[in-house]
Amino acid sequence: MKTKGFAKHYYLMLLPGYLWLIIFSIIPMFGIIIAFQQFNPGKGIFGSEFVGLEHFRYMFTLNDTRDILFNTLFIAVMKIIANLIVPLIFALMLNELRLLIMKRWIQTIVYLPHFLSWVILGGIVLDLFSYNGPINQLGGLFGLEPELFFANASLFPYLIVGSDVWKEFGFNTIIYLAALTGISPALYEAAGIDGASRFRSLWHITLPGIRTTAVLLTVLSLGNVLNAGFDQIFNLYNPLVYSTGDIIDTWVYRTGLLNLQYELATAVGLLKSLVGFLLISISYYLAYKFINYRIF
Amino acid sequence: MNKKNQGILLLFMVMLLIISACGNANNSPNNTGANNNVANETKNPDNPPDPFGKYEEPVTISIGMEVDPTDQSLPAGDTPSDNQYTRNVKENLNINVEHAFTASGANMPQKISLAIASDDLPDAMVVGPIELRQMVEADQLADLTEVYKNYASPTIKGIIEGTDGAALKAVTFDGKIMAIPGVQLKADGIHTMWIRQDWLDKLGLEPPKTIEDLEKVARAFVEQDPDGNGTADTIGISGPQSGDGKMYANFLESKNNLYGFDAIFSAFGAYPGFWIEGDDGKPVYGSILPETKEALIKLSEMYADGLIDPEMAVRKDSKEPVVNGKSGMFFAPWWMGYGPISDAVKNDPKANWQAYALPLNAEGKFSPHVGTPSSEFVVVRKGYEHPEAPMKMLNNLFKGESEATFDPSKGGPGFYPLRLVYAPSDETEYTVKAIREVLAGTKTPEDYADDVEYKLLASDLLAIKKVKKEPFDQMGIETWDPSADMGIWTRAYSIMIGGTPLVDTEMVDVPSLIYEQTPLMESRWVNMKKMEDEMFLKIVMGAASADSFDQFVADWKKQGGDQITQEVIDAVNQ
Amino acid sequence: MVRDTTPGSKMFDILLIIVLVLITLTCILPLWYTLALSLSSNSAAAAGRVWLWPIDFNLKAYQQILQDSQFFNSFWISAKRVFLGAGLNLIVVAMMAYPLSRSAQQFRARNMLMWTLIFTMLFNGGLIPLYLTVKELGMLNSIWSMVLVGGAQTIVFNIILTVNFYRNLPKELDEAALVDGAGPWYTLFKIYIPLAVPVLATVTLFSIVYHWNEFLYGLIFMTREEYYPLQTYIQQLVVSVDPATMTEDQYKRMSELSNRTLDAAKIFIAMLPVLVVYPFLQRFFIHGITLGSVKE
Repeated sequence: MKTKGFAKHYYLMLLPGYLWLIIFSIIPMFGIIIAFQQFNPGKGIFGSEFVGLEHFRYMFTLNDTRDILFNTLFIAVMKIIANLIVPLIFALMLNELRLLIMKRWIQTIVYLPHFLSWVILGGIVLDLFSYNGPINQLGGLFGLEPELFFANASLFPYLIVGSDVWKEFGFNTIIYLAALTGISPALYEAAGIDGASRFRSLWHITLPGIRTTAVLLTVLSLGNVLNAGFDQIFNLYNPLVYSTGDIIDTWVYRTGLLNLQYELATAVGLLKSLVGFLLISISYYLAYKFINYRIF
Repeated sequence: MNKKNQGILLLFMVMLLIISACGNANNSPNNTGANNNVANETKNPDNPPDPFGKYEEPVTISIGMEVDPTDQSLPAGDTPSDNQYTRNVKENLNINVEHAFTASGANMPQKISLAIASDDLPDAMVVGPIELRQMVEADQLADLTEVYKNYASPTIKGIIEGTDGAALKAVTFDGKIMAIPGVQLKADGIHTMWIRQDWLDKLGLEPPKTIEDLEKVARAFVEQDPDGNGTADTIGISGPQSGDGKMYANFLESKNNLYGFDAIFSAFGAYPGFWIEGDDGKPVYGSILPETKEALIKLSEMYADGLIDPEMAVRKDSKEPVVNGKSGMFFAPWWMGYGPISDAVKNDPKANWQAYALPLNAEGKFSPHVGTPSSEFVVVRKGYEHPEAPMKMLNNLFKGESEATFDPSKGGPGFYPLRLVYAPSDETEYTVKAIREVLAGTKTPEDYADDVEYKLLASDLLAIKKVKKEPFDQMGIETWDPSADMGIWTRAYSIMIGGTPLVDTEMVDVPSLIYEQTPLMESRWVNMKKMEDEMFLKIVMGAASADSFDQFVADWKKQGGDQITQEVIDAVNQ
Repeated sequence: MVRDTTPGSKMFDILLIIVLVLITLTCILPLWYTLALSLSSNSAAAAGRVWLWPIDFNLKAYQQILQDSQFFNSFWISAKRVFLGAGLNLIVVAMMAYPLSRSAQQFRARNMLMWTLIFTMLFNGGLIPLYLTVKELGMLNSIWSMVLVGGAQTIVFNIILTVNFYRNLPKELDEAALVDGAGPWYTLFKIYIPLAVPVLATVTLFSIVYHWNEFLYGLIFMTREEYYPLQTYIQQLVVSVDPATMTEDQYKRMSELSNRTLDAAKIFIAMLPVLVVYPFLQRFFIHGITLGSVKE
């Protein structure tokens, strides 16, 4: 085969990227050692005393650990599901719209929030939902009592999921729409001739046609769930909603950086990595099993 | 092919090792070099030590510094690293100040934490008690025992030692002074009731003396439209804001708690957050005592009745309703003229905010918790060649401030590098009395010329009549003229309104038995405190029943509370 | 296309338009509200009187920003960061994805290397070791710390996306190239990359948005405000200061300077570049995502 000497070229192509990752991802992983130490900044990572699993043991006696683990998973799963279904419904509705100019405008507007940071959107969202804010004023018109939305621990996770969906649904809609336009019009024509209603053709033609897109979106959202939850919650939460809104990342940030409990924070961070690994592995397996699709 | 793969993998591994090894190699020479220097310094101190002595050769100090990004007070051309203060330090001491890092107030803890954790410390910086302890344990700090002894100026020494040893105790570890403590006003730790006197008068009410009165007044403020705009949009009692707001000060942050309920708690004899003497004479944590439960229940009733700001703990800025004339009461220390009240008066010149040492407890006494005199410290990195330089800078600052060398309009005092507050702990009370004498004509400003440690007293006395109108023995807002000079009025109003209850009330002070962390607290306290804060907020705001208090006490003890209490007992007995 | 035009269907269309427009409004109104706030007087904003139209219209906030040299400085840093980050991301991703898109038969180390990437994406040692690494490399206060650290955390995701795209290009391309005697470099640059423009535009857009919106690394690695990127600059302006640790003079200055309209104006200007850029890139990225990953 002519491909014989190719491998060394392949390595060359990989070299810059791997160097980058080794320096900025793999080397800093030495920090995980802190989780097993009584970390003394004066002595550094290589000089501190090892204490085995003490911090992990303490971690599991904390109510916090259970809470943040649950919150992370709960919010993550809700986000994945909602970000799958809401854009799908919206895309289907948009697909039924016959005014093309309007369709294009709506498309362009709804995915705008996706591109804005949570630093910015967090400020806007908190303002909208404040006690005298527009949302409560609107509710007042319908005779509703003003509600302190972002102080309500039982509401908070849903507000997080809701505002995340609000930010992201437009973006995912675009992707669904592209898939929808990829479905051959001939299929709809045939269905129309057979006398199928709009809803029947939706069920039998449209939905099967975009199944793989749905899987893809799920996979894309996994990356977000593991990392991007931080920016959002960090900019929206307050101590009142720690019990339901604190996720691993925010907790680790506060504990490690603001409260100087480096060891505990690292231990919990490790836990997060494990949860992430689990999620990715599961989705890898599911995608492979159900649509015979290899994510990577 | 397989072998080649392995070869390349090996290459990766080797690189990885080299890179990490380089990191270490860079580290060590720095440290040893610095240590040598300190040895030299102790051998050849300048002779004799002069607290204000100018270095012959320029000395450089790198510091971590808080810079408020919204501050526009520096004149054009000046920067946080080059302004009247830094030039003054250069001129008087021949010290060049460099910034290792700067950050806004909210981001400062994060920067300090990174510096400690990475052992990448500036030569000196200002830290709080938790960071101080952490750095002492990591052996990162220079021993300042000799520095303090030889270089602290007599005035500063006088102020530090005027705290009955409390300030030095906070920085002494194993008999060594590891940091230079600041000394703040005692008044900063006493939280009094600020109330709209004009609303009281309008509704024909008296300042509330008891908890029942307090409820009555708050209800009237909420229901009887005291601002007369026809809508029920007023707040009885303001509450803490979201994020950093606290319902009560605690032994680690024992002062300057704005919009908390400190005085309400103390009216119940409850001192949550403080280590006090229990019935058996042993130290006990105030938050787990039945008095605290009682106070929480009352607060939750008041909250449910709408007497407390329904937006407490969520509001981004509790100052807002006070400024906008929507709030009738809040609890805070004396300096509220610097706080929301100057804006409130700008908005509504008739807003007559007065301060009272109320409500009273069952014995009819005002019995506040009091703070530690020192909560900020200057620390010096171990191995810095000139450990006395920060002390000299503090001497120079105090001298400069009492001689009015600096012009605050050309950049606020926060721009002085390594600034610590040094004030005789009774400065507020003393100033109130002095101003009264001057207003009454029984004394003149010149009579106080010798009180140099009260560094603002002279200017306070000279300026008071600019903003205070007749009659001098009344303090209502109508007897003031803020527009004459807002800057002077801010301070004078704070002193005369906020300081008056401190002078005129016979208080029963309740100090915390300790103001520092014990060893176990370092790993446990944050989480226990978080549990406490959440639980108490929930109880007050009705999200948890009063009975969950008992569960909290049990959890608190289980999560290390009992051990920590023992540690505190040992620490107090030492 | 055959569409039914019964009255019931007409009703359905009207209802559809109403719902779609309402949802679209929720995406645009918050941003509009921010604009209105930024154009109002400070007292009206503080009193919560601003709704959807500026009260006491004025441009003071914007005039103030024009005088704020740090704002423009940070803006410029962000622009540079985006340029470097997205450029580097593009080069490395395009190159790394190619060998990784080979099958395990063609490139034996492929699976192991791919899982290594996933590993770096999931596990990390926390912020402190990262800080130490950056410090040892002398990159504190350098724009490269944000470019490289941020890049290392997002690059893997982009690689996965691009690998999928490459994999779905027709196999005949490879065979034809082999027959012509083309080496891997030629195949990559002359065949794959030109065909992969949509997906490369997509990952570039991701990278641009990421680098523009990210604020935490600016906060951690930059020791002075003059080095902050825009989002970090805005974040620190909007965060409240702890009154318990504030000195009196700080408090005084805070109270004189807190300014909601100015914040709104800064937020709005920070949004602008994204608003301007994204219509141009949208055409590409729709294709990039869908073609890249959906195997029909």
